[in-house]
Amino acid sequence: MKSSVIGSRVVREDAWGKVFGQTKFPADVNLPGQIYAVVIRSPHPHAKVLGINSEKAMSLEGVVTVLTAKDVPNNSHGVLFRDQPVLAEYVRMVGDPVAVVGAETEEIARAAAKLVVVEYEVLPAVFDPEEAMTPAVLPLHPNLRPTNVLYHMPIRRGNMEEGWAKADIVIEKEYSTQHVDHAFLQPEAVLAYVDERGHMVVQTATQYAHYDRGEIAHALGLRFSQVQVKTLAVGGAFGGREDISLQIIAALMARYTLRPVKMENTREESFYSHSKRHPMKMYYKTGATKDGKLVALEAKIIGDAGAYASWSINVLRKSAVHASGPYVIPNVSIDSYAVFTNNPYAGAMRGFGAAQTVLAYESQMDLLARKIGISPLEIRLRNHFKVGSTTATGQVLTGSVPLDQCLAKIAPYLERGGDSQ
Amino acid sequence: MIEINLVVNEKPYTLNVEPSERLIDALRNRLGLLGTKEGCGEGECGACTVIMDGKTVNSCLVLAAQANGSVITTIEGVGNRRSPHPVQKAFVEVGAVQCGFCTPGMVLSAKNLLDRNLKPSETEIGIAMSGNLCRCTGYDKILRAVKIAAEEGAK
Amino acid sequence: MKYFQPHSVEDALEIAQTAEATFLAGGTDLVLHMRTGKVQPSGIIDLGKVSVLREIKITDGFLNIGSMATFADLGKSELVLRNAYALWQACQTMGSPQIRNQATLGGNLGNCSPAADGLPPLLALGAEVHLMSAEKEEIVPLATLLGRTPLLGQETLIRGFCIPLKELKSGFAKLGRRRALAIARLSVAVALEVNENKVENVRVALGAVGRRAFLSESLSQVLSGQELNQEWLEKGVLEVQRIVREALGTRASAPYKRVAVSGVFREALESIITEGGIQA
Ligand SMILES: Cc1cc2nc3c(=O)[nH]c(=O)nc-3n(C[C@H](O)[C@H](O)[C@H](O)COP(=O)(O)OP(=O)(O)OC[C@H]3O[C@@H](n4cnc5c(N)ncnc54)[C@H](O)[C@@H]3O)c2cc1C
Ligand code: FES
Ligand code: FES
Repeated sequence: MKSSVIGSRVVREDAWGKVFGQTKFPADVNLPGQIYAVVIRSPHPHAKVLGINSEKAMSLEGVVTVLTAKDVPNNSHGVLFRDQPVLAEYVRMVGDPVAVVGAETEEIARAAAKLVVVEYEVLPAVFDPEEAMTPAVLPLHPNLRPTNVLYHMPIRRGNMEEGWAKADIVIEKEYSTQHVDHAFLQPEAVLAYVDERGHMVVQTATQYAHYDRGEIAHALGLRFSQVQVKTLAVGGAFGGREDISLQIIAALMARYTLRPVKMENTREESFYSHSKRHPMKMYYKTGATKDGKLVALEAKIIGDAGAYASWSINVLRKSAVHASGPYVIPNVSIDSYAVFTNNPYAGAMRGFGAAQTVLAYESQMDLLARKIGISPLEIRLRNHFKVGSTTATGQVLTGSVPLDQCLAKIAPYLERGGDSQ
Repeated sequence: MIEINLVVNEKPYTLNVEPSERLIDALRNRLGLLGTKEGCGEGECGACTVIMDGKTVNSCLVLAAQANGSVITTIEGVGNRRSPHPVQKAFVEVGAVQCGFCTPGMVLSAKNLLDRNLKPSETEIGIAMSGNLCRCTGYDKILRAVKIAAEEGAK
Repeated sequence: MKYFQPHSVEDALEIAQTAEATFLAGGTDLVLHMRTGKVQPSGIIDLGKVSVLREIKITDGFLNIGSMATFADLGKSELVLRNAYALWQACQTMGSPQIRNQATLGGNLGNCSPAADGLPPLLALGAEVHLMSAEKEEIVPLATLLGRTPLLGQETLIRGFCIPLKELKSGFAKLGRRRALAIARLSVAVALEVNENKVENVRVALGAVGRRAFLSESLSQVLSGQELNQEWLEKGVLEVQRIVREALGTRASAPYKRVAVSGVFREALESIITEGGIQA
């Protein structure tokens, strides 16, 4: 099939503005009379805020106001559950925002932020999801879940006993991955103001303008129609701009002061404030016959959701679905968990849970191949999905499964020693 | 406040700046040259790259006062829609631009290389661009665009 | 905060004597430290307009490098390439092009990070440091200066560096997490003289394994006065590993660096060995 569109080169319309430096990112917009807001974040992973004393900060010339949890009409937000405070009274991770200072200039706001005294009662924190899963550890979100297990996805297929009986070779290993930050190049920035209609206008870079609008409206107690979110150029996101970040706080400040409010994260603040890729602990037991056919897989995947749910359910669901890789395995038992801890919260990031399990299932394939005495390519050729294959979740693949073509193409490189360059 | 004199994009300016004020702040806030971007504020990303006296520098690490007496080129001083610089043209045509936040810095590093070296090798291009991070493209198209711009420019 | 921009060394020293102020070279360390609040100077003496401080020249058997010479200046200098090869090499990989255009050798010593790339080559090459204040002038071996705490008095200016011209063969290598913008996890500089296939006066300096870069006495003893061959190289590897083990003790990075140093040491010798003509 020939088409004039598919396969042809098109020039991005927005590229011209970008090569001349004309494109407006949120840090590049300003309004006369704007003030600057800076967030005060918790240095503790788990704590109660006992009190906030902003007297000293307020006495600094040029400080407009300091807002805390009690100033937020509905103090919660979140993509799946509203389990995350706008300004925290109860801290579940390092970097939770507890107060925000508004001042005439950014320098004054930053200086004032250092003068706000927050008194905390520091609570014991848990950083290991396997420990957090045990009933002895108190739940971080008792209103949401009775334990720290936010989500469990079991997948069962075939008969495990039969599977292991057929296995001549079994490889059992543990794998783990770490937190990863999106590190999109443009740190979060917002300009929020109340316009001539009395509507809240929030200019920002977001992956999710309509959701931001709902969350701002909810937190501030406004109607949807009273909030407008304008997305400016987005300087990279990769999943890290799905959860709302500074938008509500800036809008809150604008509502209290009736002044335009500008906020810009430093790179360090950016690292503290947005989601991370889920670290995963993956226990894999894979069995194959001596001629290299996969017969059984048992996998347990524990994803560290960190302090808030964000997209963890969807992410760990995807991990479960992808846990067997692109391979036909008749007997499968997979358990995937998302677990709350006091680590930075984890959310969406390119691959959305499918990336981590690759490490486990592909390593297992290599180890099996070595033990059986066939090449890594050969073991994949003997097991990969084709049209008509059934996946671990029972889905029958009816079309577009060109893995054989892909493997055929890279085979010469693999045979030369695995260097695809 | 200190008085400084500098030439930016061929225009002379006299500015009063704070001693601790960075060049990036003076360019963005005092001159309204918002094409210079701040990605890290600590010399790691190169989004704030400007050309100062013929050399690329990170404007987040230079004090405005240090630029006293200097000649500076920012992205606003390179090309325009009617006559884009070969680097800008190649970036657009090759698809070296995604989110675009790194692009001004990238264009300035590439332009500065071609100003000094009409026929850079691939290694020289790699070194010249090594102080600029891009989180979107994976660099391949950026390096290709610089190469194409060099070939265009050398014609 | 006061800001001074003197045009001569004399003026700079005069200001340093009378005002409470910190010298500013390229600013790649100091500007960051001011922003994080690590340093809060009450005044700044910007050396950027003191053009004599940027000179790189040969006088009286020394390669003289002004403290304001940037890593880019040094990395492009024929004089440095021919007379201080290890330093030239260090200048190619330090920071990024933007950082090299701004960062100076004087600032590298002034900041004196454990991982400062300029210091191991200077140590290996036997560099001396020219210090000046309104009241005093001295020339001290860098190795001696690095033993002082604090390194410099606030009013003391690093005028420059003097590297003796001794026909040394030298080399530098560093281990970073990536090729550009990588702070050294480990660095090695070696300088030696070759006399009829015998190596003399071997000087090995290590970076990023202690509080400051240092010269190793024991390596110098183990390696000097011997024939340049494979055996010699392996002896060096064993000894450098022993030193790293001792220097790092139980630190978390110790096992990794102990293994890694062998590769970095070999790499530092690469240029010497190929030029020296032995088949290692
Ligand atoms: C992104 C990035 C990457 C880097 N990568 C590297 C790297 O790979 N290797 C490396 O070694 N370093 C690296 N650095 C650190 C830094 O660039 C170097 O230490 C540099 O040499 C500092 O020089 P400067 O001219 O910028 O010094 P400044 O910041 O101006 O000064 C540093 C210190 O020295 C003092 N000082 C400067 N000049 C004098 C003088 N003449 N007399 C007395 N005191 C003086 C100052 O008061 C200050 O305390 C990096 C820094 C950044 C930001
Ligand atoms: S903002 Fe200057 S290097 Fe990143
Ligand atoms: S295009 Fe997004 S960082 Fe380069």
